[in-house]
Amino acid sequence: MTDVEMKSADEKREDKTTEEEKKPVPLTPVAEIKANVALIERAVATFEPRFTHRVLRSLTHLRRRLDDTVLRDAINETYASDSPSKKALLSWLPEATAEQSMDIDATSQPSKQSQPEPVPEVEIYLRLLILHHLLTSQANYPKAMKLAHDTIDKMQTLNRRSMDAIAAKVWYAVERTYELAGDLADARPHFLAAQRTAALRHDDETEASLINRILRSYLQYNLYDQADKLVSKTSFPTAAGNPQHARYHYYLGRIKAVQLNYTAAHTNLQQAIRRAPPAKTAPGFYQAVHKLTIVVELLMGDIPERSLFRHPVLEKALSGYFEIVKAVRNGSLSQFQNTLSKYAAEFEADKTYTLIVRLRQNVIKTGIRRLSLSYSRISLRDICVKLHLDSEEDAEYIVGKAIRDGVIDGRIVHEKGWMECGSQKGGYGPEVSDVFARRIAYCLELHNQSVKAMRYPLNAHRKELAAAEGAREREKELAKEIQEGGDLDDEGPDLGEGF
Amino acid sequence: MAPSQLVQLYRELQQVFTSGNLQQTGVLLTRLKIALTEAGLLVPLGNPEAQDLVIARDILEVGAFWSIRTKDIPSFDRYFSQLQTFYNDYSSVLPPSPREYPLRGLNLIRLLTQNRIADFHTTLESLPLRADALTGNPYIAHPINLEQWLMEGSYSKVWNAREEAPAEEYKFFVDSLMGTIRNEIASCEEAAYDSLPLKDAATLLFFKNQSEVIAFAQERGWQVDLTAGKIIFAKKTEEKIEIPKEKLILADLHYARELEQIV
Repeated sequence: MTDVEMKSADEKREDKTTEEEKKPVPLTPVAEIKANVALIERAVATFEPRFTHRVLRSLTHLRRRLDDTVLRDAINETYASDSPSKKALLSWLPEATAEQSMDIDATSQPSKQSQPEPVPEVEIYLRLLILHHLLTSQANYPKAMKLAHDTIDKMQTLNRRSMDAIAAKVWYAVERTYELAGDLADARPHFLAAQRTAALRHDDETEASLINRILRSYLQYNLYDQADKLVSKTSFPTAAGNPQHARYHYYLGRIKAVQLNYTAAHTNLQQAIRRAPPAKTAPGFYQAVHKLTIVVELLMGDIPERSLFRHPVLEKALSGYFEIVKAVRNGSLSQFQNTLSKYAAEFEADKTYTLIVRLRQNVIKTGIRRLSLSYSRISLRDICVKLHLDSEEDAEYIVGKAIRDGVIDGRIVHEKGWMECGSQKGGYGPEVSDVFARRIAYCLELHNQSVKAMRYPLNAHRKELAAAEGAREREKELAKEIQEGGDLDDEGPDLGEGF
Repeated sequence: MAPSQLVQLYRELQQVFTSGNLQQTGVLLTRLKIALTEAGLLVPLGNPEAQDLVIARDILEVGAFWSIRTKDIPSFDRYFSQLQTFYNDYSSVLPPSPREYPLRGLNLIRLLTQNRIADFHTTLESLPLRADALTGNPYIAHPINLEQWLMEGSYSKVWNAREEAPAEEYKFFVDSLMGTIRNEIASCEEAAYDSLPLKDAATLLFFKNQSEVIAFAQERGWQVDLTAGKIIFAKKTEEKIEIPKEKLILADLHYARELEQIV
């Protein structure tokens, strides 16, 4: 849940790289930052968050190519030399070697002096880049922490709606800073306060990002109670992006699974899978969700599909889970125990260990069910041997419970010490309609969620409008022509008047 | 520093508690709680000294044990939730308490007897232990095993575990657990048997003699055939399966609405 997932979170932001962005790839990082700055300015000027989103999508890619010189150059080129923001930004970077900075100053100054100060969004964006850069080396963590706080304060005082998208990313960087510094718990008060503010300002992007931050921090410390309360007291903004939704559903799934609400957990995890970016771009998240889903499915009494374990991204990561599934399917307690102890460390790291331990009773139930299907009468002694139970007495209680819970249909004849299995139920009755109803509900839900998850490009309808406009124009012309043609026709006007 | 009066009372409490005088302990606890509130330690505020916090924690721990000995579960609940602050938030400041895990285990069993399984698991997850270390801690392993046996139906193991309780206080809960188990077993028997000899019913339900079984059978409304020495479970008459009209209609209307949205 630590490293893999963080990586996945980064990668998630990379999703849906559009065609447009593939073109500027050969640009140098400095040029790319400059282009991004221009885009942000445009976004602010035209109130179009679309441009900002485009800038942020390239963030992960850009992040890997940053270094001190690149950032310094970018800052120098963006700001006028005497601007206070520039000095503030540069102070976060180590001093450049003298000649280098002289060089740059000399070249960039003349062209930039006349330019007006860039919008504050640009500054925050540059701060975000610096923050990510500082986090790449351990020595800079204290500095990164200071910068993070400074940036948060700045964002909150500026309070600009056009900054929301960038702010959401800054919060992610803040979380990362705290986590790398090793005290994620200390960040919680900041997140909670900021979440309140974001909710009040209807800042959906930031709020979604922050709710996920807080949930993650709670789950990291196993505070399921608090996490559950947070979920029940907040409403996740529906306008948030798909990646945020995917994470939110994943966290919900984990909370619900711990509370034994497996059906709800399963629904949430399905949502998380559906909304997550493709397996190849975010393998970490994909694996984490699937691990949990498999355990929850098993707990619900279902067996996950075999094809899942052959998925190229999942095959290796799920090997331990595959063994567990096999054990549950066979209803063999000894196999189950062996697998559990063999992969204990792995399950522990995935935080699924306690959930898997709960599977024990499912293993027994499956075992009894298999026996009841293959025998019409079986002695309790044999059940005991076949399921590796400790005593006949136990077997009797366990079978009794299975009958009461409706797992099998049968009777125990105590005097003779055997179990008589009832005949199979006919495949008709109200319970069948219940099963159907459940499946239909699932399909409908799937459809509705897919519709909700669809994204429409902004302003696409304008094109249609323009097309409609054109069509109307043509129609008018046509009507005109007809009219004119009608003039030529002798009978036309007469007819008109006759009506 | 804590007021000297508080320290004095605290010493007294320790003495009285070890001597096992429940009534006196109760009186002292009430006075101590007032003293703690005055010293601002009951719900710690600000930055109290670690030494004072240890005293406050000890007092609350004694209170929790005392509540169980006097069989006052709501009071245990209150003491335990106050202790949570000391166990979770001050864990880095305070030396670990030897009574922490016994109390946490007791809390788990309490949740189990009240059949709050979801809370049980949430609490279990939030324990500051590694998951595979849970079974290594006798105080925690006990409730975990109980839960597992209850869920899979190994009732006899639960019965036998009565004697293995890691602390005296656990027995109080285990006894109340037995009542729950008997009812569980009884409901299983109703479903799984046609008839059952009285003698065997007694062993299955962990009764010592037949008269107890008969009393229990009457309570649950079982038919007892004394001449044959058997309990006959009334077969549930095959209920006529009724088609749940209303439910079906509602479902159909729902489908129609959804379909309309799709088309």
